[in-house]
Amino acid sequence: MSRHSEEVLLHFQHVKNKKVDGVLYMMSERLAWMQSSKQSFTYSHAYSDIKAQKISADSKERVQLQLVMHDGSANTFQFNNPAGREAQMRDRESVKELLQQLLPKFRRKLSSELEEKSRLLQDNPELFQLYKDLVVSQVITAEEFWSTQGPKYSAKEKNEQKQTTGVSAAFLADIKPETDGCNGLKYNLTADIIESIFRTYPMVKKKHAEYVPHEMSESDFWRRFFQSHYFHRDRTALGNKDLFSDCAKKDEEEIKSEVEKKNSDPLLNLAGHKDGNLEEGYGGVNDDKRGSITPANLTMIRRFNQHSTMVLKACQEAGSQSTSGTSTSNGTHINGSMSKTSQLNGIVDNVHQPPQKKARIREKLQYEDLETGLDKDGVNLHLSRMERYLHGPTPLTSTRYTSTEDLISATNCVSAEIDTWNPDLTHVLHGSTAVSILGELSPGGALMQGTSQQLLNQMVPEDIQNELKQNYNALCELLRHFWSCFPASSKFLEEKVVKMKSTLERFNMAKLNPLKDKLQANHYSLDLTGHMQDLLSTAYTKFDTWQTRRMSRKT
Amino acid sequence: MADSTSTCSLVVIILDTNPAWWGRQSNHGNPKLSLSKCVDSLMTFANSHLMMNHLNKIAFIAAHSNFSHFMYPKRQQREVTDIDTNIGEINDGKYELFDRMNNQIKDEIKSLVLKNMEVEFENDSLIAGALSMALCYIHRMEKEKPIGVKMTSRVLVVKASEDNPAQYMNLMNTVFTAQKQNVVIDACILDNDSGLLQQACDITGGVYLKIPQPQGMLQYLLWVYLPDPSTREQLTLPARVQVDYRAACFCHRNLIDIGYVCSVCLSIFCSFSPICSTCQTTFKIIAPPKLTKKKSKKPTT
Repeated sequence: MSRHSEEVLLHFQHVKNKKVDGVLYMMSERLAWMQSSKQSFTYSHAYSDIKAQKISADSKERVQLQLVMHDGSANTFQFNNPAGREAQMRDRESVKELLQQLLPKFRRKLSSELEEKSRLLQDNPELFQLYKDLVVSQVITAEEFWSTQGPKYSAKEKNEQKQTTGVSAAFLADIKPETDGCNGLKYNLTADIIESIFRTYPMVKKKHAEYVPHEMSESDFWRRFFQSHYFHRDRTALGNKDLFSDCAKKDEEEIKSEVEKKNSDPLLNLAGHKDGNLEEGYGGVNDDKRGSITPANLTMIRRFNQHSTMVLKACQEAGSQSTSGTSTSNGTHINGSMSKTSQLNGIVDNVHQPPQKKARIREKLQYEDLETGLDKDGVNLHLSRMERYLHGPTPLTSTRYTSTEDLISATNCVSAEIDTWNPDLTHVLHGSTAVSILGELSPGGALMQGTSQQLLNQMVPEDIQNELKQNYNALCELLRHFWSCFPASSKFLEEKVVKMKSTLERFNMAKLNPLKDKLQANHYSLDLTGHMQDLLSTAYTKFDTWQTRRMSRKT
Repeated sequence: MADSTSTCSLVVIILDTNPAWWGRQSNHGNPKLSLSKCVDSLMTFANSHLMMNHLNKIAFIAAHSNFSHFMYPKRQQREVTDIDTNIGEINDGKYELFDRMNNQIKDEIKSLVLKNMEVEFENDSLIAGALSMALCYIHRMEKEKPIGVKMTSRVLVVKASEDNPAQYMNLMNTVFTAQKQNVVIDACILDNDSGLLQQACDITGGVYLKIPQPQGMLQYLLWVYLPDPSTREQLTLPARVQVDYRAACFCHRNLIDIGYVCSVCLSIFCSFSPICSTCQTTFKIIAPPKLTKKKSKKPTT
């Protein structure tokens, strides 16, 4: 049915899937396969579901194409054109080419809403647990859940995504060539890698634009690129015939300009940097002089440096482009004029240098907080009650007295006692009281409780702890919903309060009570669910008072 | 005389001598512990402490209801005590130091209680004042101690009467001073639990103990308070109490869990007021009461 509405871009007879012959269709949004004896698609893969395609090696007997999905599954198609291997290969190549073009387009569409949510749930185990507790158990609806949780997480995600990803320094090394048995190597280039190559080597991009559609095919171009690139590895002799030879020259210039760029930071001494390390035990520094000066090593190091420079530059450019296009153009303009002047007159350059240097040194030497800054007029402290500020809460005087008679008799009593008192230090303590007190102070005694007390987390096994934690999480989320309804100023909020109240009751019935029974069965001395019940009862009382007030207002 | 490794310990005993509490205690029929018995116990404790090491020192301060009194050692009575000790030496074979100290404390207590009969009494004692006297004395002793002697100081507060929130600020200041000077404050509570001293002991690392049987006070003193703090680590002593760190609000002197703090002068209030009554700062936030007013108005209209 859907065949009619969709445009079929390509279709091939004789494509086997699981040893059954069929027809492969490539439509504008999906790839489908139909068993030849049937009228409906056995398989249908939206392009957005497909993560990658793999093709069998040329040396293999069967000509196959495998589709790897985002969920990890895979589907393999075998091209079985009776016209022979050539035709099979051709079929597969055309499918591959088309897929290559289509897949990147659909990758963008991946972040549809549902996908986003499922990804969120996968990335946040806590959220997933909450989702299971609340939505799956039908305590609240999925919509409600996402309306509150979604923005929190997606905002976080967005913040994270703002940063542009740079180019991996090892992107070239990561392209693992596959040997095809003979002397050849096979490279699989993805769109990402091509992008990185273009970003780090702008010259290559230019070349690509110049040559690719008109003078050579895409694969031919990349073949040449890799040949030349690996040829360049020890770039001592340059072949002029090579397509990329002027690239190399350009690179050479690039390095020179980088080197010539005067390092404006006077505090940085690159020449003083030595390739050596302190011996163990911090002995003398051994200068490592052996071997490091052979020309091959030098070119190698230079290439590393150049590669790193390019990678870093690519990152810089991307950053400035994304922030504002105008600033970059301004910047280059200024840079251009600067370099012009320096080229025109070396002396000018020298004149320019000192203020920069000075500024840099000043930046390092001067500290803002050490300078005698201007005294700002602060707000004066107007103390209306100085004594309160100095002494804190002032005492109540009157109420602390008890009746004077009581006091007088008490003092008389004390003075009478003290008057007749004569220290008798040998009879201060009776043996029996001493023994009973020793009992109090010995381990297990009345005063010694808590010294050998077990910690709660040792008493309760981990799975119960986790369960409690989950329940707390869920309950707190519900309570948050509940309390956020107050003050219930609108009709919607009032409805929500009532709904939340019943939700809480349901939670109490469905989750908390079973948990409580379970804990009781385990005989814990502590009331672990008591606090949760307190929370619930507080919410209930709030609801009751709110409802009675509402009722009285209506009547 | 003192070798380089010798250490001594100074214990300052602060005794709450509030006659109101002690008198009422003995008035109520069954006196658990009379003031005289308490002083006897403390004297024995002091003697034991002095016996632990001949360099150990003791000081005795009485915290009365409206003043603090330094009882031992006393400078101006030194001549008198010299005579006393002479008599004591003649009389029996007691260790002169013990005898001198015991006699002096006895005399001081008697004069303190009998001479101050006419003064107004309150239910609380001036613990903060006595504590600061103790800290001053400790400071002086630190300065006067012979070179090479290491002195550890601690304060033992024996308290019976109620807390006075008015002393909160003063007491806290002395407690933090004690913490800075490495002075440990121990508290032996006879009757009313004291939130302030709980904090004091917690901050300085001392022992806070409300003793269940005051008549056997000496046993607690010898068992819990006699070992110095470094020895206590090796002993199994009663567990630390959970300390109540609530602050008293400036407006009603109530201890509060959650309150409002003026961002300018740090005064604590139990309820919100748009103008700080201590420093007259106005706060431009929507006060919670206003919101409720609006809410109540809406349904009526």
